[in-house]
Amino acid sequence: MANAWKIARKGNAQLPLVIVIALAVVLVLLGKAQSGLFDKARAHVSDAMAPMLEKVRVPVAGFDRWMGSITEIFSVYEQNLKLKDENARLRQWRNVAIVLQGRVGRYQQLLHAVPDPKMNAVLARVIGRANRPFLETMILDAGRDNHALPGQAVMDPRGMIGRIYLTGNRTSWVILLTDLNSRIPVTIAPGNVQAIMAGDNSPMPTLDMVSHTVVLHAGDQVTSSGDGGLLPAGLPIGTLVSDGQGGFRVALLSDATASQDVEILNFSKPPEAPPANAQLPAEAAGLKPEAPPPPPVPAATTPQAQPVKPKLAAPAPKPEAAAVQPGDTEDVDR
Amino acid sequence: MASLERAGSLPRFRFLIVLTPLLCGLICAFLTNIPVSVLGGVVPPPLLALVPIYFWCLVRPDLMSPAAALAIGFAEDALSGGPPGVWTLSFVLTYALVARYRDSFAGLSGVAAVVGFAAASSFACAMAYAIVAGLALLTPGAHLPPLGPSVSELAMTVVFYAPTVLVVSWLHHKLVGASRGDI
Repeated sequence: MANAWKIARKGNAQLPLVIVIALAVVLVLLGKAQSGLFDKARAHVSDAMAPMLEKVRVPVAGFDRWMGSITEIFSVYEQNLKLKDENARLRQWRNVAIVLQGRVGRYQQLLHAVPDPKMNAVLARVIGRANRPFLETMILDAGRDNHALPGQAVMDPRGMIGRIYLTGNRTSWVILLTDLNSRIPVTIAPGNVQAIMAGDNSPMPTLDMVSHTVVLHAGDQVTSSGDGGLLPAGLPIGTLVSDGQGGFRVALLSDATASQDVEILNFSKPPEAPPANAQLPAEAAGLKPEAPPPPPVPAATTPQAQPVKPKLAAPAPKPEAAAVQPGDTEDVDR
Repeated sequence: MASLERAGSLPRFRFLIVLTPLLCGLICAFLTNIPVSVLGGVVPPPLLALVPIYFWCLVRPDLMSPAAALAIGFAEDALSGGPPGVWTLSFVLTYALVARYRDSFAGLSGVAAVVGFAAASSFACAMAYAIVAGLALLTPGAHLPPLGPSVSELAMTVVFYAPTVLVVSWLHHKLVGASRGDI
């Protein structure tokens, strides 16, 4: 081997090296500008590898699970006691939840509330996982042929795992909630606090954009807020835990390393039609919408040159007497 | 397996032999990025593709050119699903470092050779972290990536260096050969 080191001579590769470094820098900048540069190639590769991955997955899965739980093998007894206690408490909460679910249903009927959008779900199997320093993802065996689309939420029986960010014909790539690039609008209950949950490749994502006036507590529930219309509201995500530095992180309910079968939620909210530009400021100010401009008259000033006088809108009609008052709902409830 | 001399005498295999380091790097990139975790996600996979780059950059830099390092890094990026260009630039910069201090690295043997590779792979991981951190700083509200997974990947890469370099060295002696004049 030592002879082999000495045989080769230095080549005059300085110029190509400089050019190649410049090409690599351009690739980084291009990748930053267009993050989906390799997406099509990745989708083709994962589609082609899907049959092989499914065959490899079976023997590896057992060893994988064993390795994943090797750190917990010495605390099985304590965990068992803790789980029994937790299970007893959860049974009590389950009864409470069933009662409250019925009550909410009655309220919705009384208030003629808009029903929650119906969601179809596609059951998919995890055929691959990638745990790289700058990327945490998994590959599912459902793609465009199964109506899986980028942006759709992926759930395991416990909670949300992540979102699909790339689909091939037969496979999908999921960006996990813990990934560095994951950003999810969430609601923290109680208090209905809005925030952005951001992954940082650690097991527990952080919370961004939280108002400084709100007070959070460990144990608060985190669900998806549905802001932006990409994800349905109310998907269970996790609970708040203190990070030991005065802040909070989200302990996820789902376990992406152990999930084998997941659901892809087909949630599509029709986009809201934006109001006409000319009407929006006037209506927001409580003014009547402007009359359409008169047809242009030759040799006259243009309509835009005319000063526009704001007109007060007619007083808003009083609410119907039969409208449901807060007290009424209390009475109904009683 | 044909020996070096016999392989070198066959012109129709010459093209394949010249491409052996590149193909070896691409295969290593593919093996690294098979999305099946055999360690339960406890540690990230090693950077196997760095081993052929390091080995042939020292032994036969005429076969492992900067363009080959670029292609291997490109494959690593394309297959890993990470931000494009990170490993490409990282591998090329590592190649430049190893080529610059080639005499120092090539003189190492035994445990010192592993230490030399550990230094090169530390540089590669540090470059990759710096690039990703730099990209994160350009994004409003983004977080710096944690250092732990990069350190784990570095450790795994160093651990897997010895078995990987054995295979690479065997391929080198059987297919490529030590002497430049053979091809």
